[in-house]
Amino acid sequence: MAEGDARADRYPLADAIPVDLDDFGPGMNVLVSGPPMSGKRQLVFDLLSPEGAAPDPIVVMTTDDPASRIQTAFEDRGVRFDPEVFRVVDATGAPGDSDSAIHRVSSPADLTGMGVAFTQAVDGMGTPDRLRFGFVSISTLLQYVDAERAFSFLHVLSRRTSAAGYLGVYSIDPTTHEDRFVNVVTSIFDAAIEIRERDGDRELRVRGLSGVKPEWTAFPH
Amino acid sequence: MTASEGGTVLIVDDDREVVRTYHRYLEGTYDIREAYDGESALDELDDDVDVVLLDRLMPGVSGGEVLDRIRDRGYDVRVAMVTAVDPDFDIVDMGFDDYLTKPTTREELRRTIDDLLALDQHAVDVREYHALLVKAAALREGKSRYELEENPAYADLESRLSDLEATLESEAGDLTDDSRFVATLRAIDTAGEDADG
Repeated sequence: MAEGDARADRYPLADAIPVDLDDFGPGMNVLVSGPPMSGKRQLVFDLLSPEGAAPDPIVVMTTDDPASRIQTAFEDRGVRFDPEVFRVVDATGAPGDSDSAIHRVSSPADLTGMGVAFTQAVDGMGTPDRLRFGFVSISTLLQYVDAERAFSFLHVLSRRTSAAGYLGVYSIDPTTHEDRFVNVVTSIFDAAIEIRERDGDRELRVRGLSGVKPEWTAFPH
Repeated sequence: MTASEGGTVLIVDDDREVVRTYHRYLEGTYDIREAYDGESALDELDDDVDVVLLDRLMPGVSGGEVLDRIRDRGYDVRVAMVTAVDPDFDIVDMGFDDYLTKPTTREELRRTIDDLLALDQHAVDVREYHALLVKAAALREGKSRYELEENPAYADLESRLSDLEATLESEAGDLTDDSRFVATLRAIDTAGEDADG
């Protein structure tokens, strides 16, 4: 990454997180971890479309919120819901109209189906050189498949996006799983952004990146 | 997987000459089973079979129907479709893991089988990696850094983990190929529950 022109491949974060960090490198996978209602979904979306950064193609894979809610959340952020640049893989099993921007999978238990839908979404966008991929959420996935399958799926999916140079951002609620599972699944990722609440105030820290101290910082919303 | 190092391959084609040719190409490396129609292909199939070479167009039960039944029954097996012409549809969509166009050379046939076995191996390696990470996490609980460094079992685990990480990273480049990526996920989906470490 020492070469000047290599920076163009990186994924700018603008002011998405209150940490001295300008961007993520191509192929990075980041875990966003926080308890319920801590704003982690919002943060995942912020990392996919940071305000003020040049927009990248986006694919969001969802196992809990149906595509319509994802769509609304991004429209509120001013992101065009255009299948050329934005697609959702909806694995919630929610009924809905077929749409070139929404790829439906019957259930989060259908890991193969989610993989097929991902390849169709990326192919449908012309296999772009850059792409930000979001996954919400690992916690819901765990309600449908055992820990070993979930781990294997996340490992293969994250390596797939890495190999293509894409940025991957995944969310997890650590309070609903054993510490051991959270530790094991975290090792898939290059960095983890943790959110916590103390006395009603929200704080955030980044772990796993050299040059970024894992210090708790106020994260107001 | 059976005792045979190369894995077990089921050849399915109504043309006995084709089956004989493939048999000749593969013998010595793989355990081979044969079937001349869809019904007997399903009879020959069990958990020892690793790869099925499935002729698409057969009288009676077609290759596509055989594939559907294989997937419905949840066999942990990779399936390569063999067609007379290049498929004009998305094989990823159809549930096949790969395809071959007739006539197939010895090299093509063996390379396709070996690639399918390799992605099975990738799924096995990821599972093994998960099992080792769980063990390492369990060992770390309630132990100080010093205690861990003094523990030879933990050191052994750490070195196996880093070897496996290197293997997994070297295998990951193939995942940009859509059919390999999806077939790997299918291998994860269909892996037997008893395979859990």
